[in-house]
Amino acid sequence: MSNIDENAQGKEMGLTTCPSCNKLNEQKQTHCTRCDSPLMVRDTTSLQKSWALLITAAILLIPANIYPITMLTDRGRIRHDTIFTGITHLVQSDMFPIAIILFTASILVPLLKIVGLTIYLTAISFRLPISKKMLMVGFHIIEWIGRWSMLDLFVISITVALVNMGQLLDAKPAPAATAFALVILLTQMAAKVLDTRLLWDRLESKDDKNRSTKSR
Amino acid sequence: MERDCIDDCVTLCRSCDLVVTKRALPSGVRALCPRCHTALYDTPYCSINGMLALCITALIFFTPANFLPILELHFLGSVRTATIAEGAIAVAHQGYWIVGISVMLTAVIAPGVLILSILSQILIIKYRLHSPFFRDVLKRLLKYQDILSQLTMLEIYLISILVSVFNLSDFADIFLGMGTFCFSMLFIVTLFLQREYNLEHMWSMLDE
Repeated sequence: MSNIDENAQGKEMGLTTCPSCNKLNEQKQTHCTRCDSPLMVRDTTSLQKSWALLITAAILLIPANIYPITMLTDRGRIRHDTIFTGITHLVQSDMFPIAIILFTASILVPLLKIVGLTIYLTAISFRLPISKKMLMVGFHIIEWIGRWSMLDLFVISITVALVNMGQLLDAKPAPAATAFALVILLTQMAAKVLDTRLLWDRLESKDDKNRSTKSR
Repeated sequence: MERDCIDDCVTLCRSCDLVVTKRALPSGVRALCPRCHTALYDTPYCSINGMLALCITALIFFTPANFLPILELHFLGSVRTATIAEGAIAVAHQGYWIVGISVMLTAVIAPGVLILSILSQILIIKYRLHSPFFRDVLKRLLKYQDILSQLTMLEIYLISILVSVFNLSDFADIFLGMGTFCFSMLFIVTLFLQREYNLEHMWSMLDE
């Protein structure tokens, strides 16, 4: 196998991997020989789908942050908490570690995800001169931490189930909860749907050549 | 010679489509793509019997983890308890059914289906059920494996139990019960099960 070029793409060799079972197939096949999934050398429409999902998520991030996410009745007084005020309450009651966990999961992660994916998609769509290696590392991080945003929703559901004592003490979800759930769902899907191989085909810039792996 | 060999000694990176020549790896080592650092393959080690044991243990813990209360709240003499499903249903009842469904799906349904799916895969492989029907079942289960394990969010739920305990301890007394213990055990067992499980290896079982 010494005649294989060190930096060849599968596309140039007439090979492609199955998206669901990862088996190597020849490009002339339409369906995977092992699991019968349809094969695609590159999914070019994935870029559009990913953009659409990401933009929707970015729009929904606004209501998710400005509307209250929980409504707490404490001895007749009703308090509406947005994601942010919920965290400031925790800081005021000296629960810093919890505040940091919630801040990371419900503000930092969704925001970083949307910003990160936007950079990623613009880099592919407009061929920005950003290092592909860095983009890919960022993408793996985004894929991995994205699910941690579910934390806030779990906390809300436990709280709502436990705290229901009418006027004395009562917790209810508020409109931002749905928006927040959709942000998580849509950003996860935007990352999932994207064919990352497009990045390595399209992006050609001076400081980051497509064929530079030999250097190390 | 080229075509016969190409299946065994070459792989494509699924994120950047680079052609990588396969090499034998020592156990516990994972091959990364030299260009984009995506995990490519590792030594397919998975012990079928070990996974079967973990699966059964997980199933044993699954029922109490979901039907015993995970938290107990004592407030002015009244006691409230909640299970995971009750939490999801309570939220859905308030009209936030998207939140309810996602909680239900990621914390109850997906873990359960994941364990059952792995269990049936193991049984099919262990007892060499090679009839076309079982091969088809195995193929379908393997196809959905990836999405199932992504939907399983037991670890996040465990952290959110902790966060809720601290959050609510301001207002009332919170107690952890048998349900919390079973849920933690379910989480640990599932964690090991997912570590042991190797999708690539399971696919190769289908080839044989």
